[in-house]
Amino acid sequence: MSVAEMMNSKGLKEVLNWLQSTDRTAFDFQIETWQYIRKGESGLVNAPTGCGKTFSVFLGAIIRFIDKHPENFKSAKNSGLQVLWITPLRALANDIARAMEAVIEGVGLQWKIGIRNGDTSIAERKNQKFQMPEVLIITPESLHLLLAQKGNTHFFSELSVLVVDEWHELLGSKRGVQVELAISRIFGSRKEIDNDTCNICIWGLSATIGNLNEAKTVLLSPTGFIGKIVKTNMEKQTEIVSVFPDEIEKLPWSGHLGLKLISKIIPIIQRSKTTLIFINTRGMAEVWYQALLNNCPDLAGVIALHHGSIDRELRNWIEENLSSGNLKVVVCTASLDLGVDFRPVETVIQVGSPKGVARFLQRAGRSGHQPDAVSRIYFLPTHSLELLEAAALKAAVVAHVMESREPRLMCFDVLIQYLNTLAVGDGFHPDLIFNEVKATFCFSELTRQEFDEVVYFISQGGKAFREYDEFKKVEKEGELYKINNRNIAMRHRLHIGTIVSDSMLKVKFVTGGYVGVIEEYFISRLEPGDVFSLAGFHLEYVMIKEMTVLVRKSSIKKAKVPSWNGGRMPLSANLGKKLRQQMNFVSETKSNYIDELKILQPLFVMQQELSHVPKENELLIEHIETKDGFHLFVYPFEGRLVHEAMAAILAYRISRICPITFSFAMNDYGFELLSDQPIPVDDTNIYQLFSIHNLLSDIQSSINSSEMARRKFRDISVIGGLVFQGMPGEKKKARHLQASASLLFNVLSEYDSSHLLLKQAYNEVLEQQMEEQRLREMLERVQQSKIIISHPKQLTPFCFPIKVDSMREDLSSEKLEDRVRKMQIELGA
Amino acid sequence: MFNPIPHIINGNTFWISPERCIYWEEQNALILADIHLGKAGHFRNAGVAVPQRSGVADLQRLIAQLFFFKANRVIIVGDFTHSVYNKELSLFRKWRSDFPLFQFDLVKGNHDILKDIWYRETQITVHNKELRIENFCFRHEYAADVPLQDIAADVFVFSGHVHPAVRISGRGKQALHLPCFYFSGQHCILPAFSKFTGSYIVVPKKGDIVYAMTGTEIIKKP
Repeated sequence: MSVAEMMNSKGLKEVLNWLQSTDRTAFDFQIETWQYIRKGESGLVNAPTGCGKTFSVFLGAIIRFIDKHPENFKSAKNSGLQVLWITPLRALANDIARAMEAVIEGVGLQWKIGIRNGDTSIAERKNQKFQMPEVLIITPESLHLLLAQKGNTHFFSELSVLVVDEWHELLGSKRGVQVELAISRIFGSRKEIDNDTCNICIWGLSATIGNLNEAKTVLLSPTGFIGKIVKTNMEKQTEIVSVFPDEIEKLPWSGHLGLKLISKIIPIIQRSKTTLIFINTRGMAEVWYQALLNNCPDLAGVIALHHGSIDRELRNWIEENLSSGNLKVVVCTASLDLGVDFRPVETVIQVGSPKGVARFLQRAGRSGHQPDAVSRIYFLPTHSLELLEAAALKAAVVAHVMESREPRLMCFDVLIQYLNTLAVGDGFHPDLIFNEVKATFCFSELTRQEFDEVVYFISQGGKAFREYDEFKKVEKEGELYKINNRNIAMRHRLHIGTIVSDSMLKVKFVTGGYVGVIEEYFISRLEPGDVFSLAGFHLEYVMIKEMTVLVRKSSIKKAKVPSWNGGRMPLSANLGKKLRQQMNFVSETKSNYIDELKILQPLFVMQQELSHVPKENELLIEHIETKDGFHLFVYPFEGRLVHEAMAAILAYRISRICPITFSFAMNDYGFELLSDQPIPVDDTNIYQLFSIHNLLSDIQSSINSSEMARRKFRDISVIGGLVFQGMPGEKKKARHLQASASLLFNVLSEYDSSHLLLKQAYNEVLEQQMEEQRLREMLERVQQSKIIISHPKQLTPFCFPIKVDSMREDLSSEKLEDRVRKMQIELGA
Repeated sequence: MFNPIPHIINGNTFWISPERCIYWEEQNALILADIHLGKAGHFRNAGVAVPQRSGVADLQRLIAQLFFFKANRVIIVGDFTHSVYNKELSLFRKWRSDFPLFQFDLVKGNHDILKDIWYRETQITVHNKELRIENFCFRHEYAADVPLQDIAADVFVFSGHVHPAVRISGRGKQALHLPCFYFSGQHCILPAFSKFTGSYIVVPKKGDIVYAMTGTEIIKKP
């Protein structure tokens, strides 16, 4: 920046002065961002956590404000909302606010900071409605709630900078679509006031992902701006260290090996100041917490457990103590993926596969916060084959492979919710809103006809028998569509959001104090007196009262571990590819082995003896007969979701050869078809079964017969307002208005099969699971590779984990362990 | 198109229909439970756009069953309607006035909350607790494992409320959940007649008989 320019900007001078007075210097990427904001430009800042992303944009907003009010910036009060800061996580709000507060005080502004999310009190919200603070930190859901208020456009009349924090997390989810829609409305409302112009700067903050450019395009799509990308040149070194078992299990299965390795990580924990242990599921995190305490009682008092079902206050306490360095170990799930940097963290341990390169590196980045420090992450496999993933991860890190976050397209459920939101607020004008919605990336392909269909759906309720119908929701008043019924408006406000969880109950001590939440399904299987673990406590179930589970602490050592049906991450395409490449090295038996492959040698020897170890250009298929029936195992290494789709298509194609029914099982490496009759797959028809020919129509036929669309419909029906979820702790559910998503799916399929939301369920399956492009690429790869069909006499190391996973749902964990041990002995491993 | 199966109790023949009801030959009566008429309308009234077609289809099935068996009496063991009054119920009223000769008996269920006058005007005989015909008793809720003091051992009870379904599984880990009639000792729980209803999975004990409905046929177990 030239000196002349600097002299021009009073704001810049003030901010630089403040930085100097606090012994800080500005990074280049920050100065670059400030410059763009001064010019009124928009864009995306890409930098790792903890190197000043927040300041790059926030100080820019302050500079812009001072430049606009050079005379009275220190005395100007009630300037209206200047900065809207959208963050995906409530927990981040307080830390961000604290950092901003320091700047405002230092520079001497009269700005106020407001936080608005589910925890904000009603009184506080009322105050904000009367006088907006200059800075508002908000979640996407609360932002939509703001749009559901009467007269909401004037909230944004002074808005100068709109920031979307952690945009990489929102992109690719329906919450991201909510952000796109909100931006389109805020922009639209400003254009109405300011003669068709809008000078709000939009900035996204993002960690590194594979499609940064697209991320920027999606964010700015509603504005029509091109925008800039600002990158830091700070790059972190990452070292991956695998924790090896003493002896390799030749028939691997997930879920128990990790715990056996616990003694190996205790020295690691003791060596470092603070350690984060990432576990993939909440249930396993509970188990790990207990196991660590049992193995190392010294940790009592300095170990904590953090996951999404633990009470907010307890989590806040853990986060605070993590920041201040009072905790030595925190066992956590993806709940600590986001957010504030925890400086004291020296070591990160990942238990089980992280499923993707970007996620793994982000977790690694939680340690070693000094700019030049090397981030070290320990990888602890939960079954021996996962060591292969560690090898693949190492290769991916060296090759700088990063996953993309695919933006969501045509989410009619979110659109329906959004239009209802506007109808609860000031009402909407269809022509105006259609143009705004169409400007977003998500709905850029939306036709007017489809939009009108959505409007018809929310105003007329779809097909009906007029004279016997009393559908009531959105009504037309002149040019505007509005919701006037207070009950309906209230119910809609309560259900704004796109995060759908299972029916949850709050868990509370008889003596008072909340512990967390738990799935209704889990509690329904318990008897009073049973003991389960939550938040690291052993709790005795006393009773359910008013949608709350009452418990007391128990000293009984053995406790049931709750299961939460959270989404399981599938292996990313990038990691899958690296995984297949690793197999080359295995079968080449070359000396360039890395340790992970060396130690797995006995497993591969057994696999080769019984069946085959596929190279990168081979696809292995195993026919195995057991007392359960006839199994067909296929190993494309493409991740769970693609395997589920592939299993459905393959089953459909085989069933056209002869009438046969299957059940499916799958993991990230392969899938299983199981039938009660021999499966007619051999080298005469195999390439045909994996043919690209008729792919699309076969996809459509096979998902009709599968459960996938039904599962997608669960979330869609809630977001689209067809199913009301009870909130945890809610006292009364809406009487006579309960219907399950699965039931509605049946009813709609039977009586209104062209329903928008039903179509969306099938589309989501196509888009995300049966993603035509990825399937096509996979099939093309198969066509060019050698398909190897083997007939092992017994279960092989590759199929064993799939087989065990499919037994899991029918057996308790102790019984499962017994069964597996017997199977392993029988099979000679 | 469909084949009912006979089930004999105390010398009476009960035809199990795959359309989720029972025809009682000796009394020329159709027995069914949980129609939840007006359920779609109740949802729609509250702004939840479920398809209205489902309720109408249930009603049409009921009429088709009446004509198929040439029954002259309908016994409903509770939850005839879903909630408070809405216009969909007037569709039933209209049909009822065209065919006034059927006798309608309703044993009140927890969802039957309409005013008495509606039942009177619709010519439905309401039984608050139960209906007894010979050695047969009709109630809405009845827990089989807690025998009631007021029912003699030789009385057979029909009830609803539970919406029973059964898990039918085969080799190769295949499983289906199907609505069913659940016969256990001196007691039968009927499936919900309406298709716009959820279900509760029952686990048959030894000696129990289950008739599961696939939509077009009946599977008897064991």
